[in-house]
Amino acid sequence: MLYREAGQFKSTYAEDMQIFPIRQDRIGVILLLAVAFLVVPFVATQYWFSALLIPFLVLSLATLGLNILTGYAGQISLGTAAFMAVGAFMAYNAELRIPGMPLLGSFIIGGLCAAAVGVVFGLPSLRIKGFYLAVATLACQFFVLWAINRVGWFTNYSSSGVISAQKMVILGYTFDTPASKYVLTLSIVVVLALLAKNLMRSETGRAFMAVRDMDVAAEVIGIPMMKTKLLAFAISSFYCGVAGALYAYCYLGTVEPEAFVLDLSFRVLFMVIIGGVGSIMGSFVGAAFITLLPIFLNLATEVIANTFDIEISHAVVSNAELMIFGGLIIFFLIVEPNGLARLWQIAKEKLRLWPFPH
Amino acid sequence: MSIALHQHPRAHPIGEVLLAVENVSLSFGGVKALSDISFDVREHEIRAIIGPNGAGKSSMLNVLNGVYHPQKGTIRLRGKSFSDMVSHEAAAMGIARTFQNIALFKGMTVLDNILTGRNLKMRSNFLQQALWWGPARREELAHRHAVEEVIDFLEIQHIRKTPVGRLPYGLQKRVELARALAAEPTILLLDEPMAGMNLEEKQDMCRFVLDVNDHYGTTIVLIEHDMGVVMDISDRVVVLDYGRKIGDGTPDDVRANQAVIDAYLGVTH
Repeated sequence: MLYREAGQFKSTYAEDMQIFPIRQDRIGVILLLAVAFLVVPFVATQYWFSALLIPFLVLSLATLGLNILTGYAGQISLGTAAFMAVGAFMAYNAELRIPGMPLLGSFIIGGLCAAAVGVVFGLPSLRIKGFYLAVATLACQFFVLWAINRVGWFTNYSSSGVISAQKMVILGYTFDTPASKYVLTLSIVVVLALLAKNLMRSETGRAFMAVRDMDVAAEVIGIPMMKTKLLAFAISSFYCGVAGALYAYCYLGTVEPEAFVLDLSFRVLFMVIIGGVGSIMGSFVGAAFITLLPIFLNLATEVIANTFDIEISHAVVSNAELMIFGGLIIFFLIVEPNGLARLWQIAKEKLRLWPFPH
Repeated sequence: MSIALHQHPRAHPIGEVLLAVENVSLSFGGVKALSDISFDVREHEIRAIIGPNGAGKSSMLNVLNGVYHPQKGTIRLRGKSFSDMVSHEAAAMGIARTFQNIALFKGMTVLDNILTGRNLKMRSNFLQQALWWGPARREELAHRHAVEEVIDFLEIQHIRKTPVGRLPYGLQKRVELARALAAEPTILLLDEPMAGMNLEEKQDMCRFVLDVNDHYGTTIVLIEHDMGVVMDISDRVVVLDYGRKIGDGTPDDVRANQAVIDAYLGVTH
């Protein structure tokens, strides 16, 4: 069936304002979710879960968080990893110190603490913009890691700073196999992504985009600048915080400051840029591109080496990987500076008319 | 070419003074943008502010909706004075405006742009919006309905889902007017609504300005350079030159005013 909305008439505003107004989108999303929930857990291997799917989902969530702030509200941040660290460590402490705390409750507490930190470090955004704001959020990155290393309370006075995460138990079920961790991560990510999608298509999302596109006009039509910017920081940091908690609990299995260094902030920012600034779907595409492409390249070199029966040394492979990866990033940014989500949008518009030229 | 466009009885006859500007002075460092300006705007009227380039017209408009704060003088809205009002408070008091250089939200669709005009009327919080549930959903639908009325009124149905960045200039101006109208303002400030338009677009825009005034009874303060337009559609005109007021009255009064003629045509000293 062709991907086009022709013939799908909407007779009420409610129909026109559904979360996925095009029928093919609805079917596609339902199919995707069905496969992700019902097929993947039974067919994927251990390696797939722990090396590909879980990090992809967790980083998608972090990218989504940053996309809310940078893509929708237009505030650049380099503090993503710090917000994730706050989420991870506060979830750990909530689980540790509050008796009988349900796991999801700890994740939410982690997210809320990250949101609070986000609001504090979002305050400079009321005065400064663009690159200068990015530099100001760098302070957050360094401060948070410094605080976690220095204040023993956060790491429960562990001498190495590396703590193994508690067992994940929800309603008596222990999430200890990779498949169960995958399902847990997937569920949280799907719920949060749908909430974000709703939020971005309603008043709050419009206020964010208005502030991004033209702040003076936004203020003149009555959008309060301070509240909107700080809310963007809070929501974005909440998402990053939950992502951080998932990163520690479902992916690493340990809670450690070294996992949340500046490098991670940059990676998430690249995912936003490559996936598509201001697009929920783009966050997933961007995360997929950056987490999965290196692995794909690795497999591809192996296949090439086997088919042509040549010996490729390990060093060559890893260097070639980096070069191809960097080249592809530059290529995509030149072809479509607005990211892969924009490419998809263009394809969609073309498909509306295909096979006719106009 | 003065055609009296208001000859038919008006649906909303001109009423009491709605907005009064009293002895307003504004300077930026040593530059005096406005000195001792006083004028009033009556309910339901179309009031034009004209003057040569750099006369202080846009500064005046920026004072009226709280973007600039005058050093001296007061502004009264329905007799209530305010001097240090920030622009989102002005919006809450029912003052909406358009900009000389279109200030639309380029990445958003026409519909979303116009919906932002109704943000002050939205009550649901972000948690309800995230769930798209109950009050948030009802509110979105109700406001969509209101916005569609504005879209019908300004005849932009065909572009409602187009991102505004892709629209031609004339349509963008119209969308900006729609966004201001969506707020259901008591006073609408238009900063050069016809600038850069061709004759047909100007005629359309004139018709919309008159229709807005006639249909919603909105009081309109507009800045415009096209004298024909100003003389045709406005009830009263204020003339500024070098930050001072040099004329005030009906279009015919202003046309006959020697100081205004000198300012526009130049005078030998």
